[in-house]
Amino acid sequence: MNAEALQALTPILTLSGVIILLMLIVAFLRNHRLTLGLTLLGIAVTVWSTLNVSPLLETDPIAVTGLLVVSRESLLFYLLFLLSAAVVSILAFHSFEQGTAIQPEDSGEKRNKGDFHTRPTFQEEFYLLLLISLLGAIVLVSASHFATLFLGLELMGLALYALIAFPAIHANRNSRSKDQALEAGFKYLVLSALATAFLLFGIALIYAQYGQLQFAAINAAAAAGQGTPVLLAIGLVLLLIGIAFKLSLAPFHFWTPDVYQGAPTPATAYVATVSKGAVIAITLKLFSDIGAFEMRAPMQVFAVLAVTSMLAGNLLALQQENIKRLLAYSSIAHIGYLIVAFLVGRQEFGREAVIYYLVAYIVTTLGAFAVVSLTADYARRANTQSSPYRISFYKGMFWRSPWLATSFTMMLLSLAGIPLTIGFIGKFYIFAAGVQAGYWALLSAVILGSAIGLYYYLRIIVMMVQRPGAVVHDDASSGEVSPGEVSPSAKLTHEGVSIAISGQMVLAVLTVALLAFGIFPQILINWIQ
Amino acid sequence: MIQISIISILFAGGVLAWLSEQFRPDGSRWVSLASIVACLLLLMNFNGNVSAALSGTSVAAQAQWWELVSAEWIPRFGVNLILGLDGLSYLLILLTLLLGIAGVLASWKEIHDRVGFFHFNYLWTLAGIVGVFTALDLFLFFFFWEVMLIPMLFLIAIWGHGNRIYAAIKFFIFTQASSLLMLFAIVALVYFNYQNTGVVTFDYRQLLDHGLAPTTAFWLMLGFFIAFAVKLPAVPLHTWLPDAHTQAPTAGSIILAAILLKTGAYGLIRFMLPIFPEASAAFAPVAMAIGAISILYGAKLAFAQSDMKRLVAYSSVSHMGFVLLGIFALNTLAIQGAIMQMIAHGLSTAGLFALVGMIQERIHTREMDRMGGLWIKAPRMAAIALFFAVASLGLPGLGNFIAEFTVLLGAFPTNRLATVLAAIGLIGAAVYALIMMQKVFFGKTRDQQADEPQAFADVTPRESVPLLAMALLLVALGLLPKLVFNLSAPSAETIAQAAQSVLPSSRLADTGATPALRQWP
Repeated sequence: MNAEALQALTPILTLSGVIILLMLIVAFLRNHRLTLGLTLLGIAVTVWSTLNVSPLLETDPIAVTGLLVVSRESLLFYLLFLLSAAVVSILAFHSFEQGTAIQPEDSGEKRNKGDFHTRPTFQEEFYLLLLISLLGAIVLVSASHFATLFLGLELMGLALYALIAFPAIHANRNSRSKDQALEAGFKYLVLSALATAFLLFGIALIYAQYGQLQFAAINAAAAAGQGTPVLLAIGLVLLLIGIAFKLSLAPFHFWTPDVYQGAPTPATAYVATVSKGAVIAITLKLFSDIGAFEMRAPMQVFAVLAVTSMLAGNLLALQQENIKRLLAYSSIAHIGYLIVAFLVGRQEFGREAVIYYLVAYIVTTLGAFAVVSLTADYARRANTQSSPYRISFYKGMFWRSPWLATSFTMMLLSLAGIPLTIGFIGKFYIFAAGVQAGYWALLSAVILGSAIGLYYYLRIIVMMVQRPGAVVHDDASSGEVSPGEVSPSAKLTHEGVSIAISGQMVLAVLTVALLAFGIFPQILINWIQ
Repeated sequence: MIQISIISILFAGGVLAWLSEQFRPDGSRWVSLASIVACLLLLMNFNGNVSAALSGTSVAAQAQWWELVSAEWIPRFGVNLILGLDGLSYLLILLTLLLGIAGVLASWKEIHDRVGFFHFNYLWTLAGIVGVFTALDLFLFFFFWEVMLIPMLFLIAIWGHGNRIYAAIKFFIFTQASSLLMLFAIVALVYFNYQNTGVVTFDYRQLLDHGLAPTTAFWLMLGFFIAFAVKLPAVPLHTWLPDAHTQAPTAGSIILAAILLKTGAYGLIRFMLPIFPEASAAFAPVAMAIGAISILYGAKLAFAQSDMKRLVAYSSVSHMGFVLLGIFALNTLAIQGAIMQMIAHGLSTAGLFALVGMIQERIHTREMDRMGGLWIKAPRMAAIALFFAVASLGLPGLGNFIAEFTVLLGAFPTNRLATVLAAIGLIGAAVYALIMMQKVFFGKTRDQQADEPQAFADVTPRESVPLLAMALLLVALGLLPKLVFNLSAPSAETIAQAAQSVLPSSRLADTGATPALRQWP
């Protein structure tokens, strides 16, 4: 390993260092604010080192041993994931401060305020696990070898189980939240293990054929005509099933709504964005490295999964009343759209489309979950009775908190693919990629899915602009103002959903990014190219 | 640059109107009025072109585009900001702005709630519409096409009546789903054009010679047609319209009926016919049949309504059927008639919607069974209503008559059956318009109103001035149709020529003889 390779590895090394440091600090000094600060600082340093690596890669990707390859593309993903993790950790901070992270559902039960401060909440570990999972994601996207692929995937996944089940630590607290979180974590654990089994079996079959685990070597061996292509195809299909689990493509999506609902919202945001994004990124790389785009069987399996995901995701989202479940189904549909572009991944344009859509999806989904999470935090503070995760909670929000509602509207419009937003350009890319490849059937599924999708996104938007009636019943004894108690005589109350400054900044940044890349997509396209 | 200025003034005006609410309750209304007037003043810059066109200078002497702005936007996709303006766009922008003022005035007393946000949405809708009427890059066109939707959705969903949420969502899903088809068609068109020519471009002028295979062109044409037909609306796709129009606030109904529907017709004329002349010609018999059916079906349903606003809404379906019929007759005469119909229908429907709004404000119902005898209480309003009702039924001497007559004249050689059926629709129009007058303004005063203590106030100057102005315009169009015909002639001729060059020779013999209406009175 030469100096250049070592330097290319600095982001991973930095992040590992940050994790160890944070672990040591937490062991001696538990301080929530300090931990958040260090996490953000660590992410910032990693971002800085990532940017420093970038000039090295002007010409060629750098291979670090046979296991990792650092390319400009993977650096883009590093940055994307690092920034997403920063957003998630800020959201997590507020969730812990308000207690929503350890009690996602607090359905009106009387809660002794400050109760959760009397027991250790281990909230500092959340950030540690988050960073470990992030490290896994970063290793995963730079993998060039099945060993690193597996290592990265598992590192990411193992930390996730704990993140999802985090509320379960508080054994004798509100039992419903605990059960839900445990159920979510356990479901994710079991199904991920199953998916991993498929994945490993697929890898084993490929290894049995070529005796190689490195992507490039497998490609070379396959090109040289060794082994039977049929087994390679079967191996890839098995691998695909494992990937489909992680991406929650229908019909492997059953864990998604429960996990999304049961997990603390920041963890949900992380599962929906970084975890899925990293899997997409590595699949794209894997497929182009071992030439799987030329093989019919895996591509056909993928195409079928895309169609089922688009239709199932959108149709099932129609009936959801819980906003996290709704976003879960909508994310199933979105990954379905993305796969349409993925199928064209052999061409430069298709790759670009996948990456652009992924960025759009991550920015928008993070934004949507940020709104959900911050609103829930507020509801906890204001001690509202109705669940903040129900869509009806958002009724009339536009009049109470215009900025929050505007930003949420933007996120939803972007998910629906309406112009001025990044989501539109993403959808446009998918159309363009699909047309190039002549995938007419897939494109009609995209159109159909998007048309269905409009309904449930619009439902929320229209819910927000409805002239308020009494929506949220104030708990009179708490003496705090309710966000929604509006009498017809005083239509415009001034009590909006109040959000901490850092939360507002997160939303502002995401909204601005969403609009900027929606109106001037060329900026982002240049980065991707 | 004038197109860009107009669009930016409307966008900025919208933001200002929203903000100004905080300083003065009336502020946003005045800001909104001022920005539309400012745009109208900007439009005066084209007086030279207008007078040249009116004086009948030959087409060759004029450049096709009065003004053309072009700038790079997304080079990766060959997307540019191209905004052009010709006689057709000019007419439609003028209509948009004039009716925009009428809408602001109509909503002056109607909207009390969140006035600032109302005017924000209102101006942004107008900006989107002006953008649609000027964009020459298909991507940009689609962009504006969508930009006008969201604010319109809010206008209906927030300030609408009764069943507004249902109406708003239905409106949005219909238009958005169909425009996804159009987006798909646009992307496919660009890609095939790239395959044939090696250039990635969304520029409409370059896409004209795409050299597509006829079958492909036909499918892509259908994608465009469905999107435009939903907006128009043509009969099987019209069901969003009665709901949206009825539930929208008055200003919203005015924009919807008078202007938004015209974007569909404009799209057909500007984009679909020139880009897919062969496919459109092949599709013309079907489209003309749909047009004739829309005319009859719309008239029949209008007749069956007891809700006054719904009646006016269905009458729009009927009138826009003439536009469809005229456009697909594929000759200059009929296309000019269709353009005339777009403008005359805009004016007359806006007038009727404003009147319904006034009545609803006064007696809080739109049910015609509960009205009656209003002529005695409000003679001036009744007289104005009679004017717009007869305008809508096509009384000679008014713009609508010229329009419908010209369409029928142009369409007859192309498709006799459809034209004859469409002509029957004129009788239907007379029936529903007169029934409406009878139920609302004549007859006995209904008991329910007799109980009401407050007198039914006649129109105030704020209400009557825009209505009288629209009435005057309709008379002017009826007596001096060259105001429209001469301005629209270059566009109509170019399009008709393109379409006729691909027509089978037998039909050419029929239609080739129809003269352009340049030298009319």
